[in-house]
Amino acid sequence: MARLLFCALILSANSVSFAAETTATILRVLPTKIVLGGLNREQQIVVTAISQDGQQFDVTHRCQIASDDPVICVCDGTRLQGRTDGETSVRIRFESLEQTIPVKVAGYGEYPPVHFRRDVIPLLSKTGCNNGGCHGKAAGQNGFKLSVFGFDAVADLNAMVKEGRGRRLFHANPKNSLLLLKATGQTPHGGGQRIRPDSPDYLLIAEWIKQGTPWGDDDAPQVARIEIEPHERILRMRDELQILVTAVYEDGARRDVTSAAAYLSNAETVAKADEQGHVQTGNFPGEAAITINYMGQVAATKIIVPLNMTAKSVNAPTTNRIDELVVAKLEKMGISQSPLSDDATFLRRLYLDTIGTLPSATEVRRFITSPDPEKREQKIESVLKRPEFTDYWTLKLADVLLADSNKLGERGAYEFHQWLRTQIATNRPYNEWVRELITASGYSNKYGPVNFYRAMDKPEEMAKAISQAFLGIRLDCAQCHHHPFDRWGQEDFFGMAGFFNGLERRDVIGSGQLVFHKGHTPSKMPLTGEAVKTRALGQLPFADLDQGDPRIKLADWVTSPENPWFARLLANRLWKSFLGRGLVEPEDDLRSTNPSTNEALLAHLTEQVIEAEFDMKSIIRLILNSRTYQLSSDSTETNAGDRQNFSHYFVRRMPAEVLLDAISQVAGSAERFPGMPPGTRSIQLWDNRLPSYFLDTFGRSQRSSPCECGKSSSPTMAQALHLMNAPEIESKIGDKNGRIVKLVSTDLSRDHLIDELCLTAIGRPPRQTERKVAERLFSMQPPKQAAEDFLWTLLNSYDFLFIK
Amino acid sequence: MVSKRKRGMERRDFLRVGTVAGLSLAEIMRLRETCAAEGGSDDVNCIFIFIIGGMPHQDMWDLKPAAPAEIRGDFTPISTSVPGVQISDVLPKTAGVTDRLAILRSLTHSKSVHQDGYHAMMTGKEPTASLDRSNKNNNQHPSIGSLVAKLGKQGAMPPYISVPNFIDSGGPSFLGPSHGPFVIDADPAAPEFEVRDITLPVGVDPERSLRRQTALREINQLERASDRVDRQVNALDSFYQKAFNMMTSRRAKEAFNISVEQTSTRESYGMTSIGQCCLLGRRLVEAGCRFVSIENGHWDTHRKNTKSLRELLCPAFDQAIPALLNDLSNRGMLEKTLVVISTEFGRTPRINPLLGRDHWPNAFSIVMAGAGLNVGQTIGATDKQAASVVDRPISPADVSATILKVLGIDHKQVLHTPLGRPVPVVDGGKPISELFV
Repeated sequence: MARLLFCALILSANSVSFAAETTATILRVLPTKIVLGGLNREQQIVVTAISQDGQQFDVTHRCQIASDDPVICVCDGTRLQGRTDGETSVRIRFESLEQTIPVKVAGYGEYPPVHFRRDVIPLLSKTGCNNGGCHGKAAGQNGFKLSVFGFDAVADLNAMVKEGRGRRLFHANPKNSLLLLKATGQTPHGGGQRIRPDSPDYLLIAEWIKQGTPWGDDDAPQVARIEIEPHERILRMRDELQILVTAVYEDGARRDVTSAAAYLSNAETVAKADEQGHVQTGNFPGEAAITINYMGQVAATKIIVPLNMTAKSVNAPTTNRIDELVVAKLEKMGISQSPLSDDATFLRRLYLDTIGTLPSATEVRRFITSPDPEKREQKIESVLKRPEFTDYWTLKLADVLLADSNKLGERGAYEFHQWLRTQIATNRPYNEWVRELITASGYSNKYGPVNFYRAMDKPEEMAKAISQAFLGIRLDCAQCHHHPFDRWGQEDFFGMAGFFNGLERRDVIGSGQLVFHKGHTPSKMPLTGEAVKTRALGQLPFADLDQGDPRIKLADWVTSPENPWFARLLANRLWKSFLGRGLVEPEDDLRSTNPSTNEALLAHLTEQVIEAEFDMKSIIRLILNSRTYQLSSDSTETNAGDRQNFSHYFVRRMPAEVLLDAISQVAGSAERFPGMPPGTRSIQLWDNRLPSYFLDTFGRSQRSSPCECGKSSSPTMAQALHLMNAPEIESKIGDKNGRIVKLVSTDLSRDHLIDELCLTAIGRPPRQTERKVAERLFSMQPPKQAAEDFLWTLLNSYDFLFIK
Repeated sequence: MVSKRKRGMERRDFLRVGTVAGLSLAEIMRLRETCAAEGGSDDVNCIFIFIIGGMPHQDMWDLKPAAPAEIRGDFTPISTSVPGVQISDVLPKTAGVTDRLAILRSLTHSKSVHQDGYHAMMTGKEPTASLDRSNKNNNQHPSIGSLVAKLGKQGAMPPYISVPNFIDSGGPSFLGPSHGPFVIDADPAAPEFEVRDITLPVGVDPERSLRRQTALREINQLERASDRVDRQVNALDSFYQKAFNMMTSRRAKEAFNISVEQTSTRESYGMTSIGQCCLLGRRLVEAGCRFVSIENGHWDTHRKNTKSLRELLCPAFDQAIPALLNDLSNRGMLEKTLVVISTEFGRTPRINPLLGRDHWPNAFSIVMAGAGLNVGQTIGATDKQAASVVDRPISPADVSATILKVLGIDHKQVLHTPLGRPVPVVDGGKPISELFV
């Protein structure tokens, strides 16, 4: 013990002392054995104290770590560095707990060959040298230009070694190289100190210079994947956590890259990580994902900071697995659940969310007075069979699938819309019709789905649209450089684009355009002109693409139940349609570094999609029947701030088309759309460019990107002014064939008239206040005017405008 | 992207939260007063003219006659009403009012894509990689107009009006939709210009409208009484309040009616989009709008830069700006109106083969006037090619800080997102001190 050297005792000043970890009974240390040598120059140690009830506390930065033999290895903070070959151990002590971990240092003396692309480039990314705001921007920075995120390693090697008359590197004395002097801030550097002198990063670059700035062996094993620890952890506020990142090479070699990886939090108030992977939580509950990037390999650690650490039982009844999984999450977060919605609220919500249509007064009356205990299930079934289901879901799909009449022309937009209608009307399995869409060839005036390809001009756009619309993968970044938050690089991007090379459009008189694939040719890398093997995301190149239409192979892969994203995206989209928020947000950004707020639930829904063989209606049925969907939108004390865990229903304004139809339906005065048959509803429109101030003001989709993001539901002052003052709406209210005129001309009692208007507009009988307000209006003016004023009032009320 | 390399635990951020939360109300109020006393005033309004596409600094404000032909371009410097300050010969009228301008020649940021540049200059904060460029309203940070709407003194008018269109990144971000702009969505230069929905429909007289409004308030009251209503409901509620206020204030409603202006006044601004927008802007701030943003497009001169500037863009600009400043001055409003002429970036030093100039955020110029600022000067300087800043770099955040300060809003305050994340109103920017001497 005499040689025991305690070299790490880092007390984190902002971490409060917790009673819980002092009662810990187990100390877990990672890794369980340490091998230093070769590329693995140092090793991060992670120490977790585990209490009797299984709670985990990261104590890495609050324990003592000591090498048993400083001749062989030494500690630098919480990291171990080799010195000479040999075997020894490290001792880790926290409170009264102690652990010993064996250490082997082998082959440490000679630095293995440095590989420029594999070893140096990631360093430039991590330190920010090659990012778009610095040397990575198109013009470089003060004469030194690197490719952004190192996508062009050849040019970068050139820039570092040769440009500037070779003055950036000094082979005879690597540490005096301008590159290192600048990077360490020893010479004035606009970017300040990016690398600490004598840090492993620093030594790596010095070694690379010493070795003669090699490009490196192209066959040298590359990073195959990164392993991270932990994937998910529940932390307290003002708590901390050390992440451990290990790179695994193609030859199986392992290297600790914790301090070489880059970290980015998506919610810095909840948790943020420094460049060593040391996470600290803030003063707020919530969830954060720390994206970890090393060499284009990405992973994320999810940090959960509950409102209340002592898990509380929600004690709510559950109707299906969805509810169990939602409740489990609520318990984990210490959030309570709102009660079930009342029948009237449920009915209106069910109609608006599922068929974009208000229930009639008669339907409301019947439903809320029915004593049948199974009336909700029955109603769900009957709503799913309504023809408006087809109207509404066709509209939703057309928004995502770029059915823009500006681009497709009227005929093309019409044919595409009709085809989508047929798929929904027959409830054809989603995978089947998507497969048909992806492989579509034919005349645009006769065969609807080919119009999908007419909205786009280039193979690159098609690759992006298919990836985003059906897989939830955003490839835009990867067109020019490696995606900074995802695993995709340019080869993936142009590999996908290759499927659409040769997709031709030819004008044919009388038939619009003929869309067909004339045969496969691979895409080329824009930088080098090299052909890229055509392949689907994350897949090996497909064989035999030259025979027939290569899109067939792509479509098979996209729509397969084994595809990791296809079913998952459908599940997430459907969930968002009804619950107002995706389990992943944005709902079509399924990259691994954008984790779900309830992974178990999303996995379950995905399984259900596959099990149901992509029958959309059956998944919708499952969601509608869950208690979670049927919860009240009124929040409780502890769930008011909750936007992620579905503790209560998420109130939303009616979408533009639904709102216009609802106003028309309530006033009994149909909207007239130019060129459309009388009685056409907005949710039935196939032409998204029909002039309509109302639809524009309330945010109909522009159909310019393959997502639902073109639709806006944010309230604006223009909306309020329009609802209050627009002559168009006033003329609906006062329509001489409208509801008011009809109601007033019958011998309905005033009470009944008020009832009828409330049931029609807000889906429930009037409350005391509403009746009183109505009666006052009637006492001041003739019945028709009074009824009009009351209807105006209802149409402008929140209970009308919002789905609650 | 890559995490910022900062040594240490970044504990400062936690401290910042603690500090703000730890202050007593009185202390915060005191801080506010100190700030307001420093130079701004809450009765100053702003007309914020945004030149969409990238304003060519070297052809308008920061000429380099000594540079080679392919750099200096086709414009020549002329003298202005400020001895020693020269601007482009394409702005002869503006040269006559240069004594009312502060020309900021050393703007710089790093974003060379339009949408990113809009974000930088409309909000004072450069966007991160996750900016969704396809979504005009995707603000990662509130726009300056939205900050004014949220933090400034309110009147009968919508505090933030956008004319003729919504400008990308002009949105409210986490402040919520109620702090977004009221978008006119019509060009006041068009003969049929009319602002929709601000008059009562036929058959509804003011008395009846009042009955309806009263009824609506009563019905919605129940909803508002609960403090746990949804944010969207709250937002719409505030729009109803404002709409109602505007409907009942004659002065406010009249402000939108540009046709009551005399023809000579209208013509003095030029019967162009920018001219009539400036005139409408003046009417709106006169009626109490705090922040009018004016969008003027087609400045992205990748081709035929000289021709576009000389024949189309600059004549309209050069008519409108002096007219606005003179009109404000004649009405005694100039001291209480800040005029900003901003843009997303400048243009490349070298003229390209299509005789255009491309995007250049590295160095560019913007202009400020009015509000009692120290005008008749240039601030900052670029190198001999107008390519990089050699003196006194000014960041987008500095511009934000300056505008907020002039409008009497504490630019050092910290806002909180709905989740509680503290967000400084201006990230690291400082008001441009030379303007406040």
